[in-house]
Amino acid sequence: MPIEVILPKVDMDMETGTIEAWHVKEGDRVRQGDTIFEIGTNKAVMEVEAPASGAIRNIKAETGVPISVGTPVAWIYLDGEAATTPSEPAAAAATVAAATSLSQAEATAAPVIAAAPASSGLRATPLARRLARQNSLDLKTLIGTGPRGRIGEADVTAALILRSDPQDRVSKDVPSGSVASTSILRDAANTAPQDEGSGKRDCRQPEGRLQPFSAIRRIVANRLSESMRTAPHFYLTSEIEMSAARDLLGRLARRHERIGAPKPSLTVLIARVAARILRDHPVINASVEGEATRFHERIDIGIAMERDGDLVVPVLRDAGAMDMPAMTREFARLREGMAKRTLTPAELGGGTFTISNLGMYGVDAFTAIINPPQGAILAVGRTVDKPVGRNGEIVLRPMANFTLSSDHRIVDGVAAARFMADLREALENPEVLL
Amino acid sequence: MPSDTLEAVSEIRELSYAEAVREALGQAMEADERVFLFGEDVGVYGGAFGVSGDLVHRFGKERVIDTPISELGIAGAAVGAAITGMRPVLEIQFSDFITLAMEQLVNQAAKIRFMFGGKASVPMVVRLPGGSGTGAAAQHSQSLEAWFAHVPGLKVLQPSTPHDAKGMLLAAIDDPNPVLIFEHKLLYKTKGHVPPEAYRVPIGKAAIRREGTDVTIVGSSIMARKAEAAAERLASDGISAEVIDLRSIRPIDFTTIAESVRKTHRLLVVYEGVKTMGIGAEISAMIAESEVFDFLDAPIIRLGGADAPIPYNPVLEKAAVPQEDDIVTAAANLVRRGEA
Repeated sequence: MPIEVILPKVDMDMETGTIEAWHVKEGDRVRQGDTIFEIGTNKAVMEVEAPASGAIRNIKAETGVPISVGTPVAWIYLDGEAATTPSEPAAAAATVAAATSLSQAEATAAPVIAAAPASSGLRATPLARRLARQNSLDLKTLIGTGPRGRIGEADVTAALILRSDPQDRVSKDVPSGSVASTSILRDAANTAPQDEGSGKRDCRQPEGRLQPFSAIRRIVANRLSESMRTAPHFYLTSEIEMSAARDLLGRLARRHERIGAPKPSLTVLIARVAARILRDHPVINASVEGEATRFHERIDIGIAMERDGDLVVPVLRDAGAMDMPAMTREFARLREGMAKRTLTPAELGGGTFTISNLGMYGVDAFTAIINPPQGAILAVGRTVDKPVGRNGEIVLRPMANFTLSSDHRIVDGVAAARFMADLREALENPEVLL
Repeated sequence: MPSDTLEAVSEIRELSYAEAVREALGQAMEADERVFLFGEDVGVYGGAFGVSGDLVHRFGKERVIDTPISELGIAGAAVGAAITGMRPVLEIQFSDFITLAMEQLVNQAAKIRFMFGGKASVPMVVRLPGGSGTGAAAQHSQSLEAWFAHVPGLKVLQPSTPHDAKGMLLAAIDDPNPVLIFEHKLLYKTKGHVPPEAYRVPIGKAAIRREGTDVTIVGSSIMARKAEAAAERLASDGISAEVIDLRSIRPIDFTTIAESVRKTHRLLVVYEGVKTMGIGAEISAMIAESEVFDFLDAPIIRLGGADAPIPYNPVLEKAAVPQEDDIVTAAANLVRRGEA
């Protein structure tokens, strides 16, 4: 099996590094300990040695480009190993998108899986494999959140919970202070019974019912806390007139009826408009990756939804390439898949931009927390007739509040304001999209 | 005195580790006239670390014997005495000097019972002050317990508390086979509850010092104490660590470790001896080979001594062996990131 050469972590708080220079080229023979490249961090340049002797193949990393720690940058083929090109990651482009917001705890971890040569196989812990085996779950459908994309117990549990019926999720009373796993995990792992409940029960009886986080809730909690902690959020709100959008939606509904497409919703229309204008705003369709900005070529729009009390974000993949009927159909498919729990983790995350619409609940306006590692999220309030000034007169118009939360590390105020200006123009005069 | 008062006294009585060892020696010598002490400066001087103390005054020079500076001679005499029915307890002033007595321990003491078909046995106890942290440099600071754990026929103990130091020494003196007890020098002054009666702590049974659910930390001797302190800090960080004090390296209580790992899914092994080819390697392999393998959710991590002689420089000396901070960091990384 070829030996993977990864970008090593040479500094405690290092998340990305840059290869300053390669000392070898494709096909060169190296001996273990030879310097193969120099890595630059924000503090120093260090030499990286070959982990094994053999032939260097498939050098993947360019110099001068920031790369996440743990990313494979080349492979060393030992003597006698067929130096065939490893299955070049067809999924490489997809991996960024497949880095699901549900199962990807570290933005840097996920892309590694698909980038490895086929022969190096899947990375999963023995416990994850056992759980998958017992529950007939195909580990290949999962994305690991551990080091170098390793699938662990938590990843399998999250997938099992996504698959399960809500009735299975029995909440369990747990003494405060003990670490609770969900009951489904216990059953699934078939572990020896544990005495979490016995022994050191707190003598102070706390008030109310304590429900341990489900696996999804735990991931949501971790990711959103992480987002608020690390991403400096700022918020821009625009009140946008929805008359034209409303008219357009009516016309689209009639057209969709004729061609047999589902009736379009305002959310889909907003997604369609956002997908169109994001093309002109690459910095809004971008993610934070260590100390670098990842500009996404494809526009994948996540739509925040609620299912049985859990926040889930199915993704309209390649939304920029969809017309309205296609997007309406895809949205309907995602909704149905979500209700029937047939969506894969990959379909439930990895967007490049997210829309959260709470207008149907009568919310006027709100600010949303960015879905990391994305750079922005759009929060949509309800459409309501309001008195506004038009041509020197007060008239009633359907108005809605749109609030964009942006990560100031990669998005500046003016860039966000320009996006909001284009959003207003497109919603108020949809013909500009033609 | 009514018995409930006795119990009340025993509950609050605290002794240092060194005092607990001395009390065990005194009680064994009182109970059995075959028991005698043997070593460099164990008599009038009271032992290099003050462990034997006043025993020479209580039992006389015939039973607390100062020997010449010859570890091979001490060990050979002890083996001979043990075969003829005595119960020698010898002290090797610094465990490092045991190198000079290897022939007697490894080729004689460990083998005689087997080679004579059980007709002879070697009921001897060797006490060995070991470990680093006293600024005693490379030849007086080693942790060589793994060497002896590799030899069938020897038992190797590493008590971490005054309670265990006393109870395990008494159990070792009872044992009909050669037993080595490695006492960490930094533990001699630590205090703890020690009942006054002559109790025994069974050889080969680990103690769960703290229960936990996220990660199992296994250590012995001073590392068990450091692991306990680390677990306390980890708890305030939301990580529930289970701490297993091995107490006995050989025989080793594999069952307790395995049951714990089955529950926590993660294992961190901490030991002061050199990491390479050490006790941690054995424990890791035992788990990896067992049915518990299927319950691992992260690699097994070893924290061991540096692959270097223990430095004299106090900063480097500390850096050469696992410290509390290292255990906290390794355990937290293992739980949070799946690697150390």
